[in-house]
Amino acid sequence: MSQAEGRVITSGPAVFPEGCGRVLYSSPHALGAVSFILLFYLVFYGFLTAMFTLTMWVMLQTVSDHTPKYQDRLATPGLMIRPKTENLDVIVNVSDTESWDQHVQKLNKFLEPYNDSIQAQKNDVCRPGRYYEQPDNGVLNYPKRACQFNRTQLGDCSGIGDPTHYGYSTGQPCVFIKMNRVINFYAGANQSMNVTCVGKRDEDAENLGSFVMFPANGNIDLMYFPYYGKKFHVNYTQPLVAVKFLNVTPNVEVNVECRINAANIATDDERDKFAGRVAFKLRINKT
Amino acid sequence: MAQKTPEIYSVELSGTEDVGKTDTGDGKEKYRGLKDKRLELKKNHQKEELKKEVDLEDHKLSIKELERKYGTNIVTGLSSTQAAELLARNGPNALTPPKETPEIVKFLKQMVGGFSILLWIGAILCWIAYGIQYFNDKSSSLDSVYLGCVLALVVILTGIFAYYQEAKSTNIMASFSKMIPQQALVIRDSEKKTIPADIRLLSTQGCKVDNSSLTGESEPQSRSCEFTHDNPLETKNIGFYSTTCLEGTATGMVINTGDRTIIGQIASLASGVGHEKTPIAIEIEHFVHIVAGVAVSIGILFFIIAVSMKYYVLDSIIFLIGIIVANVPEGLLATVTVTLSLTAKRMAKKNCLVKNLEAVETLGSTSIICSDKTGTLTQNRMTVAHLWFDNQIFVADTSEDHSNQVFDQSSGTWASLSKIITLCNRAEFRPGQESVPIMKKVVVGDASETALLKFSEVILGDVMEIRKRNRKVAEIPFNSTNKFQLSIHETDDPSDKRFLMVMKGAPERVLEKCSTIMVNGQEQPLDDSTAEAFHTAYMELGGLGERVLGFCHLYLPADKFPETYSFDVDTVNFPTSNLCFVGLLSMIDPPRSTVPDAVTKCRSAGIKVIMVTGDHPITAKAIAKSVGIISANSETVEDIAKRLNIPVEQVSKRDAKAAVVTGMELKDMSPEQLDELLTDYSEIVFARTSPQQKLIIVEGCQRQDAVVAVTGDGVNDSPALKKADIGIAMGIAGSDAAKNAADMVLLDDNFASIVTGVEEGRLIFDNLKKTIAYTLTKNIAELCPFLIYIIAGLPLPIGTITILFIDLGTDIIPSIALAYEKAESDIMNRKPRHKKKDRLVNAPLAIYSYLHIGLMQALGAFVVYFTVYAQEGFRPSALINLRVEWEKDSVNDLEDSYGQEWTQYQRKYLEWTGYTAFFVGIMIQQIADLIIRKTRRNSIFQQGLFRNKVIWVGIASQIIIALILSYGLGSVSALNFTMLRPQYWFVAVPHAILIWVYDEVRKLFIRLYPGSWWDKNMYY
Repeated sequence: MSQAEGRVITSGPAVFPEGCGRVLYSSPHALGAVSFILLFYLVFYGFLTAMFTLTMWVMLQTVSDHTPKYQDRLATPGLMIRPKTENLDVIVNVSDTESWDQHVQKLNKFLEPYNDSIQAQKNDVCRPGRYYEQPDNGVLNYPKRACQFNRTQLGDCSGIGDPTHYGYSTGQPCVFIKMNRVINFYAGANQSMNVTCVGKRDEDAENLGSFVMFPANGNIDLMYFPYYGKKFHVNYTQPLVAVKFLNVTPNVEVNVECRINAANIATDDERDKFAGRVAFKLRINKT
Repeated sequence: MAQKTPEIYSVELSGTEDVGKTDTGDGKEKYRGLKDKRLELKKNHQKEELKKEVDLEDHKLSIKELERKYGTNIVTGLSSTQAAELLARNGPNALTPPKETPEIVKFLKQMVGGFSILLWIGAILCWIAYGIQYFNDKSSSLDSVYLGCVLALVVILTGIFAYYQEAKSTNIMASFSKMIPQQALVIRDSEKKTIPADIRLLSTQGCKVDNSSLTGESEPQSRSCEFTHDNPLETKNIGFYSTTCLEGTATGMVINTGDRTIIGQIASLASGVGHEKTPIAIEIEHFVHIVAGVAVSIGILFFIIAVSMKYYVLDSIIFLIGIIVANVPEGLLATVTVTLSLTAKRMAKKNCLVKNLEAVETLGSTSIICSDKTGTLTQNRMTVAHLWFDNQIFVADTSEDHSNQVFDQSSGTWASLSKIITLCNRAEFRPGQESVPIMKKVVVGDASETALLKFSEVILGDVMEIRKRNRKVAEIPFNSTNKFQLSIHETDDPSDKRFLMVMKGAPERVLEKCSTIMVNGQEQPLDDSTAEAFHTAYMELGGLGERVLGFCHLYLPADKFPETYSFDVDTVNFPTSNLCFVGLLSMIDPPRSTVPDAVTKCRSAGIKVIMVTGDHPITAKAIAKSVGIISANSETVEDIAKRLNIPVEQVSKRDAKAAVVTGMELKDMSPEQLDELLTDYSEIVFARTSPQQKLIIVEGCQRQDAVVAVTGDGVNDSPALKKADIGIAMGIAGSDAAKNAADMVLLDDNFASIVTGVEEGRLIFDNLKKTIAYTLTKNIAELCPFLIYIIAGLPLPIGTITILFIDLGTDIIPSIALAYEKAESDIMNRKPRHKKKDRLVNAPLAIYSYLHIGLMQALGAFVVYFTVYAQEGFRPSALINLRVEWEKDSVNDLEDSYGQEWTQYQRKYLEWTGYTAFFVGIMIQQIADLIIRKTRRNSIFQQGLFRNKVIWVGIASQIIIALILSYGLGSVSALNFTMLRPQYWFVAVPHAILIWVYDEVRKLFIRLYPGSWWDKNMYY
């Protein structure tokens, strides 16, 4: 065994057996061997990358731009609240402006596309109470129009010219409920649907106090369905339900649960706690 | 107290039966206060100690001195109180059984061995992670606790499994060792008595002992009261514990009992010779180090990367666990154990019983076999090999059944010779064996007479009947002064009233008594030329290492010896000279018929076979030549000297291939000289060696980096058996000490079984390589997801639990199935592997598995993963850096590529579908991996795709387990499996085919360009 080889073995990479070093360095034309090996791996990995890219490309050919191939997971759309917080808790320290200002900022941003001017400019006025279906009519992936959802429909929670900042500065906060978008989902199965909110337990119900909903009754109109996907349904505006809590017992954590009442949306999934419903915590701190 | 019984084959050693009991201490058994000395000896279990000759002084002392030393009287013995006192002090007369490792220690060893430490670390990290989580948020999920428990469970279960496997193989051995000695007792010792302790003989009468288990000498040794040799093993006045007394009677004084006997000393010293790690244990350790090294370095590297990418330390710890779990082939060590035990079972069927599972492979890497002669290479029974009569040497059939005796039996001389053989013989078959084949019948009598009896029974038929017809009227038994045996018979010819006197004995003594010789049935005067012919034949047969006997007879004239004549053997009132010489018979312990072939096979397998025997050099050499240990055309230095007629010193050592070295010569050799001897000669016979020298020879071989197998049966072999890399004991003839020291027991005492063992051992090594390559491959496919997850932030492609289901589920049966793979080429035609160069896991294997096939697998599995996500709405581009949002519990409206929104549970379920998809992707490609691992060099089509049916069982098991996991347990959320759409099972198929094709190309180039760069780097 040559001296060189012995040295390499001891200084070879720790993770591979000693032969590894030998492969790389022991040849008399060490440099040639190394570059040969590099070349080999270059070609080999180049080939693998090409192969991978090819199969991925072939695979992506099976995926349409229009609708996903499968939507089995999304049979029941979830519900979600705005303002979006880390742990789905809306905590308002009335005296501490900073504690709720972040929520207000978020809501301002969130509601901007709902401004009546923007809606009027981009979206159609649809007939309420029926689905706004837009078949392709022979033109593949024909761009779809969206229905207007005007910010003013949110009434006291629209935040327009609102000195109370969606009620956050007075301890009567608005929480917005929205239903997850699912392509080609005919929510409500042609019947009207609405969102209702309750305190989770009895004491929560007591502490929750009264609230008002916008639009009235927490109604969601059928005209906002079906959704045709973000690529072709560009200006789609998601319907919202705003809940303004009027007299929540202060300094107590209140568990609120809102659910959608729709014929084809189950809200009792054991595992998915957000299927057709949303639970969040509300706490108004007053001194 | 010596009760002399007329039964000549029995021996009564007074009082010795009672040594173990206290109250019957009637005799002269004396205990020697050696306890302190023994303790000291035990402490110094040094090899040096072993190599020293056994220490015993008593044989030099006179009887008076002995009496003084042991405070006893040779007539009255010890008083019972004294005896009781001594017993209390020295313990009963029994060997201390070898120390056993406590079961709990064995069990705990399994719990921390191999990868277990890594997995324990993983489990503890899990619990620590949960601890931190819990500290921050009391409601944190218990996932990491479960994972920790699962990991701990995996370690414990595999530990229990390994322990169970080991215990099972130990149990086989335990039951076996209980069985064999009983057998030995019934058959072999039925007419003999075992000496119960070391005894200084005080009076003897024709006493002969068989010391073969102690010294290896197969010849019975006579015993007397005289002190004849300084070495206690050689002196005649000591009888050793556990040796058997074959004939005569003797009375003696017990000088040592139990562990203090010579045999006890050897046995306990042997247990002090440390067992070296088996080659396969070293290989597995090496492999564990590689894998653990890869796991730990990648783990730590990515821990650092994760921390510097601003991941939380807690998350980084969880990544670390994932990386460790992905890297550790959890099921592999259990698979290796199963594979080894499968081979052990297969070998047990072929009469190789493996005590230590790992020894299965050791035999395969063996490069030198030091074989004992008696019983291993030979049949361990004297057999008539040659006959000389009518001036001609005839060859007798020495095969195991003697069936083919072809020599000329028409001569009148043969008629006379056969009569002498039949009549001048005191050996008898034990009654009640009518149905037993002749060669297997048990005979009462010494080895030579037994040989002659069986020889004549085969050729002539019922010997006892012939003897009955030729009634014996007088007899002088063999003794060492006469060196002949004589008997006088009536003849079976009613018209012939003469008596026939027949004699056999040492040829030269027999010839002295003859004046005529029978040629072609005619009596002729014995002249110088016939005497010369006799001497030539005698020398020739003696030169073959055979024991030669001469036969002669005389018809006593009827007029001088009428029918009523009374023969008196004490006064010898009949002539014992001027007899008629009839012929010579030579006997040898012949080689087993299977041995020459086995030795040739060992040769072609590159294994050097060295004979180490206590027997005489001439006999040893003759047997070595006949079995091929010394091949036909090779000569020793002495042979060359003889041929060229020059002094030995002038012969160039280079010309000689073979060497016969005696113990005396070995004694004077330095270790360097021994090394030189072992390297210079390819064919070596060591004769007349002592147990200590056997150890020296084994060590010499091991210095050459050889893996040494030692075969032996005696207690004297046990140190060498233990020292050897693999000790092979004889199951039938072997002593308990030898079997205890050995790693393997040949149930049929047949050397040829070793060749089978070598073949199985080599095959298992090759197949283990395949198993490990197969198992390591998917580690990359399991590891890459974590790395990509950390770096690119994809939703986790495969979960830790899912990985465990591959490692301990789908992959287990296929990797065992590879153990059933047939050899690719003639493994018995290649050299034994070099234990330091030919590793089980070498660089090409690791690189090819990790960086070639493993990477391909990872890519293939990723394709399946991306397919599932893309078809559900998340295109690959959307997945990048999605991790943080994806995993947030509070995000229940995560947008996909189509603008749809997903709740946390919907995503989680998709993630599990991803796990299942990735799992199926790996599984499908592992099928291809399994098929390509069938061979390392040959094309799969050369090997035969369907020859190994178990592989297909393995493939079926993979698919079935995966189907059950996906469709059967898809609803059990804790397992993280979901029902996968049928088409996803086929997404990885193109990659699987690619793997197969790529490997075929690799093998093709290896076959096309042997020795090329490709061959060196791609052949594992």
